[in-house]
Amino acid sequence: MLETMNRIQKAPRGRHALLFAAAASLTVGIGMATAQAAETRKEAKLDIAAGGALNIVNNGGSVTLRSGNVRQVLVTYVTHSEKIEVDQNASGNKERVELRTHVLPNEKPSADEAKVDYDVTVPAGISVNVSTTSAPITVDGLKGDIGLSSETGQITLHNVVKSHVRVRSMTAGVTLTDVTLSRVDLQSAGGAILLNNVTGQRVTAGTTSGNIEYRGDCSGGGDYLLTTHSGAIDVTLPPTASVDLTARSTNGPVENAFPLQEKSHNSFVPRQGRSFAGTSNSGSSSVELQSFSGKIRVKKQ
Amino acid sequence: MNCQQFQEVLPYIIESGGEGDDESHLQTCPYCASLVQDLRYIAEQAKLLLPMHDPNPRVWNKIEQSLQREGLLEGRMSPPGHIQKNSTPHQAKNWTPVGWAMALTAVIIFAVVLINYKPNQLPQTQLSAQNSSAEPAQFNSDDRLLISQLSQQAPDARGAYESSLRDVNAYISDAQQAAERDPDDATAQELLQDAYEQKEMLYQMATARSLP
Repeated sequence: MLETMNRIQKAPRGRHALLFAAAASLTVGIGMATAQAAETRKEAKLDIAAGGALNIVNNGGSVTLRSGNVRQVLVTYVTHSEKIEVDQNASGNKERVELRTHVLPNEKPSADEAKVDYDVTVPAGISVNVSTTSAPITVDGLKGDIGLSSETGQITLHNVVKSHVRVRSMTAGVTLTDVTLSRVDLQSAGGAILLNNVTGQRVTAGTTSGNIEYRGDCSGGGDYLLTTHSGAIDVTLPPTASVDLTARSTNGPVENAFPLQEKSHNSFVPRQGRSFAGTSNSGSSSVELQSFSGKIRVKKQ
Repeated sequence: MNCQQFQEVLPYIIESGGEGDDESHLQTCPYCASLVQDLRYIAEQAKLLLPMHDPNPRVWNKIEQSLQREGLLEGRMSPPGHIQKNSTPHQAKNWTPVGWAMALTAVIIFAVVLINYKPNQLPQTQLSAQNSSAEPAQFNSDDRLLISQLSQQAPDARGAYESSLRDVNAYISDAQQAAERDPDDATAQELLQDAYEQKEMLYQMATARSLP
C-alpha cells in the first residue's frame, strides 16, 4: 500500500521535472535565437583610390586588418545588437573611405551591445587610421601609412615592412613583431610596449609609466630612441648588433650586461650607475635609452 | 553648495560656525564634515598654547642679564610688572615677549599642521560623487575641465584619465625640475618634451572621447 502511494506521488514529480526541463530548453532556445538575431554579420566591398586612406572608428569589439591582393577594401563586420550601426562613407574621388560605428538615436546600448567586430582586408599602399576606446586592434602585413590609437584595447602589429607606423595608447599594451625598414613612432601613457625585431630609419617609443622592452638588433643604421618617466626599459641585443648606444637615467638605476667598447668622446659625463655609453661592432645605429626614474637594462641575447 | 564652494568659505566657517547652507552641505558630505571636524580640533588645541600668565620676574632679570652680558642691551628692560608710560595695563599683561613667542609658536604649529594636513581618503566611488575640489592639487584648471567633461560624456573613462593625467603631470614636474637644475642637460630637455607630448596625446584622446 505504501509502495503504491509512493508511486502515485512520484509520478507527478517526474512529470513536473519533464515540464521544467522542456520549459528551460525552450527558454534557452528562445534566448539563443534572440542573441543570434541581435548578432548580425554583414559584408561590404568598398571602392578606394590607389594610395587612398581608410579610417575606422570603433569603440568596443575588435578591429583586425590584413593586407590582401585585392583592389577594394573588403569588410566583414559583426554587430551585437540593433542599437548600433556602421556607417560607410566615401569621398567623391574615393580617396577617403570611412567606417564608423555609432549608436542609433534614443538608444543606450550596454558595453556588450555596443561592440562591433571588424575584419578588414586592405589593398596594398592604402593608408590606414584606426581609433578605438576598448577594442583591440590587430594589424597583419600592411604596408603604408598606419595610424592606430586606443585607450585600453591591446594594439598588435606584425609583418609590416617599409611603412610609417604611429601608435597612441593610454593604458593599452602595444606589441610590434617583425616590423622592419619602417619609421615607427609609439606613445603610451601607461601601457607596456614590446618590440620584437623592429627596425628602421627611426624608431621611437615613449611612455609615462609603461615598461618598454626591445628585442632585436637595431639594424638599418637608424635612430632608436626609447624614453620613459617611471617605466623600465629592457633592451636585449644580439652580439652582431652594430650600435652606438647611450643609456641615461636622471634618478633610476642603469645596468649594462652587453659588451660595449668605450667611446673616446662622450657628449655627457657618464655617472656610475646612472649612465653609460659605448659602441658595438661598427656602431652604425644610434640607440638612446632615457628614463627619469625607471630602470634601464641592456642585455646580451 | 558643492565641496569647492564650501571649502572657499572654510576659514569663515571655522571662525563663525557657518550658516544654513554650510550646515546642510556638512550633513550630506562626510568628506567636508571630517575636514571641518579636524580643523576645529586643531584650532581648539592651538588656543591652549596661548599665554595665560606672565612668567616670574626672575625670568626677566635673567634674560636682561644675559642680554647685557652679550652686549645686546644697553638700557634696562621693562619687566612685566614695571609698566611703561605709554602702555595700557591690558597690553602689558597680554603681549609680553614670551607671550609673543608662545603665540608665534602656536601659529607656527597651526601652520605646520595645516600644511601637512591630509584628510582621510575617500573611496573612488565617493570621490567621484564629490566635485573636482576633492581632486589632488596637481591637476591644473584645464585638467579639471577635461575631467569634468569626461565625467559627463564618458564617466567610465574618468578614472583611467585621472590616473594617466596624474602620472603625466608628475612626469612634467620631474622633467621640469631636472631641466631647471641643469639647463644644458639635453636628456632633461628631451624628457620634458616627451612628457608634454604624452600629455598632448591624452588631451587629444580625451577630447575625441568627450565630443558629443
